[in-house]
Formats: sequence, structure tokens, C-alpha cells
Amino acid sequence: MADGEPRLVCFSCNFGWGYLADRNALASQVKNWIPVVCTGKIDITHVLDAFKAGADGVLILGCPEGECHFQDGNIECKKKVFLLGKLLEDYGIEKDRLRIELSSDPDGSKLPQIVKQMTESIARLGPVKKVEAPSKVA
Amino acid sequence: MADKPKVAICWLGSCGGCDEAVVDINEAILTVADATEIILWPVALDYKYHHVEAMQDGEIVLSIINGHVRNSEQEEVARLLRKKSQLVLAFGACACFGGTPGMANFRTKEDIFNWVYRDSPTVVNPNDNRPQTKCTVDGKELTLPEFYEQVYALRQIIDVDYYLPGCPPPPDLIVNAVMAVLEGRLPPKGSTLAPNKALCDTCPRNKTKPDKIGIKEFKRIHEVEADPNTCFLAQGILCLGPAIRTGCGEACININIPCRGCFGPVEGVEDSGAKFLSSLASIIEAESDSDLQKVVASLADPAGYAYRFSAPISTLVKKRV
Repeated sequence: MADGEPRLVCFSCNFGWGYLADRNALASQVKNWIPVVCTGKIDITHVLDAFKAGADGVLILGCPEGECHFQDGNIECKKKVFLLGKLLEDYGIEKDRLRIELSSDPDGSKLPQIVKQMTESIARLGPVKKVEAPSKVA
Repeated sequence: MADKPKVAICWLGSCGGCDEAVVDINEAILTVADATEIILWPVALDYKYHHVEAMQDGEIVLSIINGHVRNSEQEEVARLLRKKSQLVLAFGACACFGGTPGMANFRTKEDIFNWVYRDSPTVVNPNDNRPQTKCTVDGKELTLPEFYEQVYALRQIIDVDYYLPGCPPPPDLIVNAVMAVLEGRLPPKGSTLAPNKALCDTCPRNKTKPDKIGIKEFKRIHEVEADPNTCFLAQGILCLGPAIRTGCGEACININIPCRGCFGPVEGVEDSGAKFLSSLASIIEAESDSDLQKVVASLADPAGYAYRFSAPISTLVKKRV
């Protein structure tokens, strides 16, 4: 967020989001967009890696409840998000920086708007205050 | 005497339990003492650091180092032993991952000093004196090591050849590690000298685990009377078995205490806490968002549970390298 623009990482499920859209055109509108085969595939490690790499927020877009192509990957992901929210607070990272939305948007028309809204709400939170002390040891 | 391999055993930020564990190998220590020349063991023998400084580089065959690094003295000793040793073994959870003192990384140095020297109810310190690295008393300069901003695992300070986790490491693995060095049957550099499986794989309670676990409320071990034979997670009690390396001999499980994670991540995993929470999420049972909120709210101190022994090497805390 050094240049003022919050950095958002957006994971989205291929089965519910943007599969009818022109991928390249959508990717040009949504920075750090990571389409995945199912949100159930997203591990807590991936989200932590995103924060580690300097993300100011992480948005996960999954399929509506009951419509997961793999039965319940979206619900599994939601459970991880709730649990991880509590862990992030212990690290001094506000839980609002991680959000999951279960809906669908095959033609990718809503996606940039949702990303924009989340980016704006992160901008209000300011940069991440990490519990990472300056390194003393070379 | 001269041609025996030289071994150093040293503590950094340590409780002394790891040194105690070395003694706990019982009569096997006679074999080790017979086959080696112990040139440094501050907790047990009266050798000085300047004796080590006078040695040739690489003269020590094996340095067994336990404890974390949080101050300049610990860093200096770690670097000295690295310089003089052919092999360095990180011994115990603190040296391997930072250990329980690593949980201090969830607070800043300033927070810690404010509590210890000012805010704690038992402290009387009207002048707000704080430790200084140098001060002058009666014209003489006194020095103290510098207290660092955070706790480091040994590998964040020096190059480490092998790891032996545990709090403390169990006697059978200690003997195996030392004999492996003496007999020259060592695995590739960077290996952990413990089994590669997760604790659940060897847990005697594994067969009591139902096909599907559904946790509706997390309980802490002191809040319930845990059944001594049933899988802890099936009882809703947090147990780090799914994500933690085995090799401990199920010492905690056998006394009806769930796994706390002192053996660290299984092979190929860096952040065992994150992996554990991912697996934990999958066994939460909740019908609605409000149910889910309630289950998650019943989990006290997730960071303290998931990273009890490994906060310094966790994804969000570890030093960027």
C-alpha cells in the first residue's frame, strides 16, 4: 500500500465466476486475480502467503451454497475464512481484510465492482500493521 | 584423547530441559562420553567460551545447540560454534522453531519491557529503569547483551545441518542422532532426525476416530474430563496430531494430554499452524453462519494453540529472507 493503492488478492472459483467472460479483459481490470478450480482448494497457507507477500486484503469468491461443483468446497472454504479471521486478529491484522462471498457471476460483470468495493473498504483500514519486528540479525 | 571426535553441547535461550534430556539417555551417555571428547557443556562442565575461540575452525565435529536466540550473547555463541564446528544439530523445539518463548513474537519488545519493568502489579520501579547494554557504576563500565526485537529459531541466525525437535527430544532419538554422527550414517543435510509421519499415524487412539468428526464446540483440556482412550478431536478437544511430526513416543497422549506440537511440522510443510487450522476447519460442523460464528468463538487463542512452538518460523512472523 506504499503507493496509496491497497493491494487486494482475489481468488475466485472457475465454476461460478467469469467462465463466460473474456479472461484477458477481466484480468486487466482485476489485479492479482487468481482463478481456482474450487474455493475448497484454497488452503490457509495460501491466504497467509498473500498477506506475507504484502497484500492488504484477500477476497474469495465462491459458488452459492448448495451449488458447489465438488459438493461443498465453498462451505469448507467459508469455515476456513471464519477460523482464519480469528487467527489474523492475533497477528494484528483486522479480520475485515479477509472476506468470502458465495454467489455467482458467469459473465464476470459483477466481479470488478466487488473487487472495487473491497479495495475501498481496505483503503479505509489503511496499511496492514504487521507484528513483524525489524530484523536485528543479518 | 586427542583423536576422539570433539563434541560441544550448548544452551542459548533455554530452560535447561534439553540438557536434562541429554542426561536422560541414562547409561548410553557413558558410550557417548567414551567415544567423544566433550569440549563445551556450560550446564554441566567448566569449560569456557575462550577455550572454544582458541580452537581451529571446524575442529569440533558436532555442536548440539539447544534454545532460541533473542539476545546478542546468544547470537555470538551460536556464530562461534558454527565457525568451529563441522556439523550443527539444532536440538529441541526452541532451536528448531523458536519454541514456546517464540510466542513472545506476538508482542513487541516495547510491550514486553513495559509489562516487565513498569506495568506488572508486582513491580516497584519508580525511576522506570530499563536494562541498558552499557552503564557506568563507580567509574566502571558494565555491559549486558542486547535484547532483540524478536525471538529467532537457530536456522534464522546460522546455517544448521540437522534438526532434532521435541520439548525435550526423547532419549531414543537423541542416542540415534549422536550415534548417526559418530558412525557416519547421516541423511542429507537439512534433515530432521525423526520420523516423517504425522502424529495421528502412530497415535494409539487413531482407531477410535470416527469416519467423520463434527465439532460443534471447542473444549479445552482442563474444562472437561477427557476419555483416556478416545481421539481428542472426536471429543472436541484441540489436538495438533494431524499436522505435527511423530517420534515423541506419544508421551502426552499417553498421559491423556492432547498434542501441543513440540515436534513441529511434518516433512515438506513450513507452517504447521496454518496446515493445522486448515484441517481443523474441515471438521467444524455448522448449519448456518451464526452456528459457525459460535463454534469459532469457542476457540480460545487460536494463534497460541496453532503456533505454541513455532511462532518465529510461522508465515506471518518469520524474518523475511
